[in-house]
Amino acid sequence: MTLTLRARLAVIATLVSGLLLGGLSVVSYNVLARWLDEDVTARLTELTDGLHGYLRFDSGAPSVEYNANDSDQASFVHEATRYYQIYDSTTGQLLAQSPDIAPLGLSLTRGEIALLLASSLPSDITTPYGRLRIVNSPIAGPNGRTYLLQVGVSLRTLDASLSRYRDLLLMLTPLSLLLAAAGAWWLSGYALGPLTRLAFAARGIDIATLERRLPTRGVKDELEDVTVAFNETLGRLEQSIGEMRQFSTALAHELRTPLAALRGEIELALRAARDADLQQSLASQIEDIDRLTRLIEHVLTLARAESGQIPLKFSAVNLGDMATSIVEQLEPVANARAITLRCDTAPAVVAKGDAGWLERLVLNLLDNAMKFTPEGGCVVVRVSGDDGRASLEVADTGIGMTPDVAAHVFERFYQADPSRSSASGGAGLGLSLVKWIVDRHHGTVIVDSTPGKGSTFRVRLPAFTQVPRS
Amino acid sequence: MRILVIEDDGKVASFIQTGLEQEGYAVDVLNHGNTAGEQARAVDYDAVVLDLMLPGRSGFQVLRDIRSRKPSLPVIMLTAKNSLDERVAGLDAGADDYMAKPFALAELSARLRALLRRGTPRESVLKVADLEMDTIRRTVRRAGASIDLKPKEYALLEFLMRNSDRPLTRSLIIEHVWDIHFDSISNVVEVHINSLRNKVDRGFPIQLIHTVRGVGYMLTDSAP
Repeated sequence: MTLTLRARLAVIATLVSGLLLGGLSVVSYNVLARWLDEDVTARLTELTDGLHGYLRFDSGAPSVEYNANDSDQASFVHEATRYYQIYDSTTGQLLAQSPDIAPLGLSLTRGEIALLLASSLPSDITTPYGRLRIVNSPIAGPNGRTYLLQVGVSLRTLDASLSRYRDLLLMLTPLSLLLAAAGAWWLSGYALGPLTRLAFAARGIDIATLERRLPTRGVKDELEDVTVAFNETLGRLEQSIGEMRQFSTALAHELRTPLAALRGEIELALRAARDADLQQSLASQIEDIDRLTRLIEHVLTLARAESGQIPLKFSAVNLGDMATSIVEQLEPVANARAITLRCDTAPAVVAKGDAGWLERLVLNLLDNAMKFTPEGGCVVVRVSGDDGRASLEVADTGIGMTPDVAAHVFERFYQADPSRSSASGGAGLGLSLVKWIVDRHHGTVIVDSTPGKGSTFRVRLPAFTQVPRS
Repeated sequence: MRILVIEDDGKVASFIQTGLEQEGYAVDVLNHGNTAGEQARAVDYDAVVLDLMLPGRSGFQVLRDIRSRKPSLPVIMLTAKNSLDERVAGLDAGADDYMAKPFALAELSARLRALLRRGTPRESVLKVADLEMDTIRRTVRRAGASIDLKPKEYALLEFLMRNSDRPLTRSLIIEHVWDIHFDSISNVVEVHINSLRNKVDRGFPIQLIHTVRGVGYMLTDSAP
């Protein structure tokens, strides 16, 4: 799958934003966790060190002594003794324990006590009431005994804060990413906007309007570069197409004079010829010359038409009347080939167009339809109008076309079956002229065809809208 | 009848000269337009056949030359270009008719005849052998029996009868009888000629409508 440049830019920008946002979230979360952790450990050390000062071992059993009237002391001791216990390291006996730590079942054996005395690193334990951080410190008793003091701090608040922060990040990061994606889409659209407008303007230039140039903005940037380069290409194209057209026009003109001489001399010879075979041969040569002349005529018309040298005179054309008149005049031709030719027109279908060229359009379509419709077939012209468009349909019950053929049918010199070209007298130019006429009228032409069943050509043209006179 | 042909291509000039001389015209040929004006004034020509593309001076200049000296001399323009604008330009410049190369000799002589006959009143009753047309009542009779014709058949027969004994090309017929440019599109002329034959000639010993090979059709009572 290929994405548009805009989509690719947006995706890349979004990916980069996503990486940055994700990285930022992870780093900030970890830094925050570390900071909070350090704070807790520092506080725990503070509490332990402080508690040392309040512990007395006068009567064997340790006790905490402090001035209960001093609110600072009271709250400090209250905090420090929330989770604490003291062991006698020699006997392994639990000497004191705060009520909150008791249900946690943190009883130690003598071996464990000895180990803990050796390393004073804080350790975290998980309890059903949340995590607890415990720091171990030895206390030298008055009688040479050593005690192990364990002071703990609940990590519940810290964990709760961190988890809330994580939730916040998990919510904010995707949201920001979404906003970043929208922003990237808008930004890439904004950045590519001039390019899109350039493409739109370039698309408006075709072979008939090669003299047009893309508008330059007079700013020195990459887009201006593209515009100028495109305009230069157009200039070269215009020149070479111009030369080609001059050549084909000149060629067609240069062909006419010798053809005229040839035709005239053969005609003179035909006048003098008394032999029937000779007459036959000379007459057939004249027919060939006439066919060649028509071909040159068509090529010249198309060349002139495509180079925009034929000005169209737009006026209100009653399409129904025109079709009816053409059908009436062609009816004898159709009858001679045992083809039913009919015309169904809605009243007052008025197109905006050049009457002469529209007549040619209808004629070419009818000519094509009759050419490919066998005896006993039927050709119907339908003219109708709806919301601002005038429609003309030429439907036949002829040999029809495969989709492959239908796709090429408006191309110049296209012959579905080359062997037919001489028999039917066409050179594959009639329908390309139809296409040209329709294009110049800002209309559309499509063909529906089924092999063996027939073809329907549908032309839609802008309707003539009365301009109110002021 | 004397015709001046101004055409730089020797072969074209030669067949026009031969062809028109065979039809009884006196023909002078100039292969450039430089002295056309003087020539036209010096000799009393009945018509001029003028090529549009001449070396030196263009056909339009030559036409103005001729017009300034002989305002009413009929001029047919020949050109290797065939486009509506050229045609309009040619006719605007004062040409009386306009023909694109290549053309049928028969058509040139038909157009010449039409120009030379211009101004003479058109007869209202046309007659060829026992075929009779009353253009006022729009009736057609052959050997006294009335023939019923459709409008286009009538127009075609009138054109054939007004130009009887002369071969007429398809393009000439289309131009005069139809208001639609059928040119190469379909065999509309052949079809109408056939139905006309069925109505006019069928059952009569003498056929009036003839096909002229390489040219077109002709209405005549003397077999060619």
